[in-house]
Amino acid sequence: MGITDDGNLKISWSSPTLTPFPLQYQVKYSENSTAIMREVDEIVSATSLLVDSVLPGSSYEVQVRGKRLDGPGAWSDWSTPHFYTIQDVLYFPPKILTSVGSNVSFHCIYKNENKLVSSKKIVWWMNLAEKIPQSQYSVVSDRVSKVTFCNLNATKPRGKFTYDAVYCCSEHECHHRYAELYVIDVNVNISCETDGYLTKMTCRWSTNSIQSLVGSTLQLRYHRRSLYCSDIPSIHPVSEPKDCHLQKDGFYECVFQPIFLLSGYTMWIRINHSLGSLDSPPTCVLPDSVVKPLPPPSVKAEMTVNIGLLKISWEKPIFPENNLQFQIRYGLSGKEVQWKMYEVYDAKAKSASLPVPDLCAAYAVQVRCKRLDGLGYWSNWSNPAYTVVMDIKVPTRGPEFWRIINGDMTKKEKNVTLLWKPLMKNDSLCSVRRYVINHQTSRNGTWAQDVGNHTRFTFLWTEPAHTVTILAVNSVGVSVANFNLTLSWHMSKVHIVQSFSAYPLNSSCVILSWMLSPSEYKLMYFIVEWRTPNEDNEIKWLRIPSSVKKYYIHDHFIPIEKYQFSLYPIFVEGVGKPKIINTFIQEDIEKHQNDAGLYIVVLIIISSLVLLLGTLLISHQRMKKLFWEDVPNPKNCSWAQGLNFQKPETFEHLFFKHTDSVTFGPLLLEPETISEDISVDASWKNKDEMAPATVVSLLLATSDLGKRSFCASDQCNGANFSDAEGTEVTCEDESRRQPSVKYAMLVSNSKSSETDEEQGLINSSVSKCFSSKNSPLKDSFSDTSWEIETQAFLILSDQHPKIISPHLTFSEGLDELLKMEGNFPEENHDEKSVYYLGVTSVKKRESDVFLTDASRVLYPFPAHCLFTDIRILRDSCSHLVENNFNLGTSVKKTFVSYMPQFQTCSTQTHKIMENKMCDLTV
Amino acid sequence: QSVSSLQRIAGLDFIPGLQPVLSLSKMDETLAVYQQILTRLPPRNVVQILNDLENLRDLLYLLAVSKGCPFPHSSGLKTLESLDGVLEASRYSMEVVTLSRLQASLQDMLQQLDLGPRC
Repeated sequence: MGITDDGNLKISWSSPTLTPFPLQYQVKYSENSTAIMREVDEIVSATSLLVDSVLPGSSYEVQVRGKRLDGPGAWSDWSTPHFYTIQDVLYFPPKILTSVGSNVSFHCIYKNENKLVSSKKIVWWMNLAEKIPQSQYSVVSDRVSKVTFCNLNATKPRGKFTYDAVYCCSEHECHHRYAELYVIDVNVNISCETDGYLTKMTCRWSTNSIQSLVGSTLQLRYHRRSLYCSDIPSIHPVSEPKDCHLQKDGFYECVFQPIFLLSGYTMWIRINHSLGSLDSPPTCVLPDSVVKPLPPPSVKAEMTVNIGLLKISWEKPIFPENNLQFQIRYGLSGKEVQWKMYEVYDAKAKSASLPVPDLCAAYAVQVRCKRLDGLGYWSNWSNPAYTVVMDIKVPTRGPEFWRIINGDMTKKEKNVTLLWKPLMKNDSLCSVRRYVINHQTSRNGTWAQDVGNHTRFTFLWTEPAHTVTILAVNSVGVSVANFNLTLSWHMSKVHIVQSFSAYPLNSSCVILSWMLSPSEYKLMYFIVEWRTPNEDNEIKWLRIPSSVKKYYIHDHFIPIEKYQFSLYPIFVEGVGKPKIINTFIQEDIEKHQNDAGLYIVVLIIISSLVLLLGTLLISHQRMKKLFWEDVPNPKNCSWAQGLNFQKPETFEHLFFKHTDSVTFGPLLLEPETISEDISVDASWKNKDEMAPATVVSLLLATSDLGKRSFCASDQCNGANFSDAEGTEVTCEDESRRQPSVKYAMLVSNSKSSETDEEQGLINSSVSKCFSSKNSPLKDSFSDTSWEIETQAFLILSDQHPKIISPHLTFSEGLDELLKMEGNFPEENHDEKSVYYLGVTSVKKRESDVFLTDASRVLYPFPAHCLFTDIRILRDSCSHLVENNFNLGTSVKKTFVSYMPQFQTCSTQTHKIMENKMCDLTV
Repeated sequence: QSVSSLQRIAGLDFIPGLQPVLSLSKMDETLAVYQQILTRLPPRNVVQILNDLENLRDLLYLLAVSKGCPFPHSSGLKTLESLDGVLEASRYSMEVVTLSRLQASLQDMLQQLDLGPRC
């Protein structure tokens, strides 16, 4: 049982098998709904019964029995009861499959809460998202509403749902049941092609435009009309299916063979589905109008002799009988032919002659055809035909030639060698079989010599005038236009070239120019000859028209070579006297080269200057930044209030002013330990004496100020180290006043000397008096934390300090000193870094020592030197500071950058310094 | 394979030959006879010709209708008693002569159609 598209309940059954007579059936059904309850008996002869006026929510119980239709018989037993319940919302039809552009309608009876909704109150929705306009509704009855969709568009699949859900709703409520609308785009393009034998038509179509519908099958159906197509193709009720096969390119291909050439084949694609079938719009094809002819047979190509045209000939294919047009494509034969097209619309034409630029080349030619009325398709191109290169015409001219006169020019008999250039194809059309030389003299008359395919020929010139002509001969004939050359004793003395000069343009071109004087002879042309006189190279020559007075010679000219240029005027009467020059190519080229070299030198100088200037600027900026950028203005500090830093005395006063009052206080920054020991040796008497000197342990900013810290500033005046260059440094024992010490030195016992090298931390500038072998340094080192890992430095004051690497080469005086220090005490055989006084940049470790024994510098230790040099060390000596922090707990060595805590020298230290003052005299 | 014009083939008189004047109806009759004969030949070779003959007969009918001629479709020969016997005995002769005469008849019809044939 089921609901028909008309909304009726269809009760159907199958007839019992093996009944030799027709049956009649009695159908008994009961209908139970909220509105009515009834039982009906009906007798029918068919195997189905339609029950109308069914209502949503009704349930049916059905039984059927049968009996012989005619004649005696008894009713069979009732079949088993069959039940069917109609849903609350009844759609008919429940599903529609249709094609794009069609119109469809759905009907609906809606029962809501046991009440039938009035058809006037029914509204329709699409996909639960879009209300269908009321203009599309219509009332069929009180209970039946209808919605109509016109000119439908294809359904857009939403995920797995390939249909539109149509809902019949009350004003504010929709039942979950819906009708399904499938709209399929069935526009399929069917194209057919009839072969050149007119026996087969192949039709192709693609399913790409057809939306895949699960469970559907596609089939091409056609109807053949006896003659031609109707104006408007339509689907004929009588049609035949055609087997089509899917090809690799996704197209289905169907072959009609044999064909009715003049019959109209109306074809369409039928989509079969359980919901119904759809047909694509029909198309009618007349096989005769879709013919793809066979390519024209017997295509030939040749170059016409004496005419010089490319002649293509072909024949008309057997089929079709219609008039045909032709297309010719031709091009120079090769791997990739550049085709040119030519069209022939004369159906009777069987050949065409075309001009081509190159008569002496092989051309490839193909021809194809199509019906002249435009129906059908172009045939395939015919097999290519090729022209054969052969002589088309006589050579257009004879070869250009020149002569070389061998032997003594003063003798009357001379060997003359004729040289000529072989004719190219364009001139020979298309080949030269041989050359013929015609001689003409006054005494011997005229004679010819066949010289074969050679390009030079020597003969004896004995008469005053000898005219030669060279002819080119090919299979067609002899060249018509030929050059003459008359060798004349008389004319060889005619001089008309006034001036002749050659200018090298580049290595591949030379400009020649000349001036002529008036002459009574008729000038035909010039011959320019050039060669390298130093070598036996073959001469090169060119024919130049007589009207030209300047000429560009293109050749490969070697700059270092000299060339000789000769200009021969060629008269009708004979060859004139040449003008010979040795060109200035070499000099000019050298000049150009010199100029180029000069330019390069200037460029290099300018570049160097710019580089130098840039380096100086960068250095200046860097120095400036290095020394001044991070240095705070002491005037901004509380401790510097009221001080005049312009005066050197201020620094002394400044340091001593706070000596007693400031050690470590809350107002001071936290001190940092940067060094453990700094020793200053007392000066020795003289450098020969090598007397041990007092070593001053110099501790910067140590907590144990009373033991080892000292502030060296008060012993040194405010000499400016920027003026230190060319000065002499001396270290003087104050008590003896003997400035015998030439270098200041800081000795460090570093266990990790290699590390020091790598880290470059010990770039300290040290002012120190050297001690002898027996210097107390040894004890000092062994007793103190230098043994652990001592990294010492001395802070200098200068705007341009130079911090010397301990491993740099010592200057002269220092070398001597080092010799004396040969037995310098070492600990564990480790290298002892020797620090000596210097002023250098942190980055310029390679700088030489400039404070030599010739220098005279009074070494100062002003307060502000601490600022600058500590700043320098701050970055590079971070690990130094760390190391010093780890030296021990008992002794806290601290150092505060930029701060006057360095003034916290103990009185003891001060005294030491007073006794062991290093005097650095400028 | 063309048949020599010098020799007459006896026993195949039911195959139409050239006729001096052809009307449209006579043309149709001739083509119908050829259709009858060709249908007895192996289909592999002549099926396209049969289709073409049908198209030609349709064209003749169309032409006759356009000229207002009464044009009953001819059913060909009423009796072809000897056809089966000849085919069985002389298949080659039958095919060659039929196709040769058909070609000649078609050429002849083509010429007479250009002259405006009678109904």
